[in-house]
Amino acid sequence: MATQVFKVPDSIIKDMTYGFCPGCDHGVAIRLVAECLDELGLKENAITATSIGCSVCLYDYLDVDSVEAPHGRALAEATGIKRARPDKFVFTYQGDGDFASIGLGESTHAALRGENITAICINNTTYGMTGGQLGPTTLLGQVTTTSPTGRNVEYYGYPIRIAEHIALCEGTAYSARVSLDSVANIRKAKQAIKKAFEYQLKGLGFSFVEILSTCPTNWHMTPQKAHDRVRDDMMKVFVPGVYKDVLQKV
Amino acid sequence: MTLTATKPEGKVLIKGNYAIANAAVIAGCECYFGYPITPQSEIGEFMSGKMQELKRAYVSSESELASINMVIGACSTGAKAMTSSSSCAVSLMQEALSYATAEELPVVLVSVMRGGPGLGNIYPSQGDYNQATIGGGNGDYKLIVLAPGNVQECIDLTYKAFYLAHKYKNPTMVLADGLLGQMMEPVTFGDYPYPEVDDSAWALTGAKGRGRRVIRSYAPSADDQCVFLNKLYAKYALIEEKEVMYDEYMTEDADLIVASFGSMSRNVKSAVKIAREKGLKVGAFRPITISPFPNKRLKELSCSAKKFLVTEINMGQMVRDVRLAVNGKVPVEFYGKGVGSMIDVEDLVDKIESLIEV
Ligand SMILES: Cc1ncc(C[n+]2csc(CCOP(=O)(O)OP(=O)(O)O)c2C)c(N)n1
Ligand code: SF4
Repeated sequence: MATQVFKVPDSIIKDMTYGFCPGCDHGVAIRLVAECLDELGLKENAITATSIGCSVCLYDYLDVDSVEAPHGRALAEATGIKRARPDKFVFTYQGDGDFASIGLGESTHAALRGENITAICINNTTYGMTGGQLGPTTLLGQVTTTSPTGRNVEYYGYPIRIAEHIALCEGTAYSARVSLDSVANIRKAKQAIKKAFEYQLKGLGFSFVEILSTCPTNWHMTPQKAHDRVRDDMMKVFVPGVYKDVLQKV
Repeated sequence: MTLTATKPEGKVLIKGNYAIANAAVIAGCECYFGYPITPQSEIGEFMSGKMQELKRAYVSSESELASINMVIGACSTGAKAMTSSSSCAVSLMQEALSYATAEELPVVLVSVMRGGPGLGNIYPSQGDYNQATIGGGNGDYKLIVLAPGNVQECIDLTYKAFYLAHKYKNPTMVLADGLLGQMMEPVTFGDYPYPEVDDSAWALTGAKGRGRRVIRSYAPSADDQCVFLNKLYAKYALIEEKEVMYDEYMTEDADLIVASFGSMSRNVKSAVKIAREKGLKVGAFRPITISPFPNKRLKELSCSAKKFLVTEINMGQMVRDVRLAVNGKVPVEFYGKGVGSMIDVEDLVDKIESLIEV
């Protein structure tokens, strides 16, 4: 008897063309989000505020109601949605530039207000869509198109640790950092996303997952090398883990 | 702070800012998001108490970038939502207003002008006529802009702003100034006079029992963008055809027509009365919708009048629209003052006399 080994989640649009670069983790992350929406039965009650960056393509793949926010303002729009319609499941899916640079004010205050929404942030240490410039999470020493000799403190200052920052906000119910560099870590990432979603369903406050991701195109690496970099360089600075969990007293 | 009853009976004496806020509540505003700035802070103060009392949504936002985008989020679900602000802070909202026109969302924004440019000061000014009617957002877009001239109109036009925003799915602004915001006048509220607009065909509610909806400004191709812009501009043409409002006073036989908007029009009317008593053939014209602008009516008036005078509390902004409408047919003079109180009635009469004698 045949057993089904692969199924496209219901929350993924069926007739789309895949537009992310080969080896880009956006695809994996969106699939995990879709699986969690499916498993929690949220697809038909969800509204998302999309962000600007490669993450904007979320609405090309995810079969849920969406409104496109200007760069950095997704959590303000999500706040408006949730305050207007508290019974809806509301989440954002943002790049690190969107969430932690131009939108850091909106992100921090959504967390401080304890908005009962979930934010997913893709940390790929660069502005992907605009061609790989230095962003808020670019590692010290990292070469980008606007840090041609590598990020130095003198000119660029330091990268931000987003999950730790959000964990410091009192309205945050859950803040975790995960990685997609291995199958085991992808499983953990899914658990974290699901937990963040469940915390919203329980009405506990702001829930947040930072996902360490690849941008092979702008890193000028093969997909495998890019995942090695996540493990060898990024995870040393951006250490995966749960930084706040109101139910576990973390 | 005085909290009025939600629907006060009969005539009440009230400040412009409170009148706007209370009218919004009566209009059924479900969500208010705002950040303080003089001279409109009373609106947010009133809303903070009233919306909580009525169990409606209120957020004291972290910035005007956030407030206007919160309004967009709420509007994407079909909610009646608003923010209020002033001058330099409305500058911060320009990107979002461009998005909201492209996403065809019923955003309501109240702008109570203060002096500029930059931080300027908190004295009354009409220096944001261009900001309201032209705007600083990117691309081809227009707001609907309603300019009250007294406190009663602050109420009537707030009602109308919610209606027009939802009817045309276009951001709509009530443009007042510090004088109107701070001034008390006797008014009546009455009921919200417009029908509720059905938004069930487009609002985001979760894709239950239907295909998902995406509200976005991004157009994948140049052709798509052109199709959209043509549709948008057909909508603007319809709004101009149906919704233009203006007020006229003794224009029928007037040789000189004095045009002004908002609170400046009050002194203009008084000056026209005095000039008429002196036997001068002068009239007053006041656009109530400054976007769309009453081009057609001004063009008609330029066939009978010999001259126009435009007065504003700015360095000459609406005068440009009057000149475009009149299109060189008769001279259009400007008499303005950068910021501060309205131009005195006596000075206006002198100006009128000097222009008619010539
Ligand atoms: C206000 C504004 N500034 C700049 C841009 C240009 N822009 C588009 S995407 C982007 C960077 C996005 O980077 P990130 O959020 O890290 O997402 P990624 O593309 O890496 O997924 C920028 C700067 C814009 N669209 N709007
Ligand atoms: S540019 Fe980078 S983030 Fe964007 S799709 Fe390509 S690999 Fe992914």
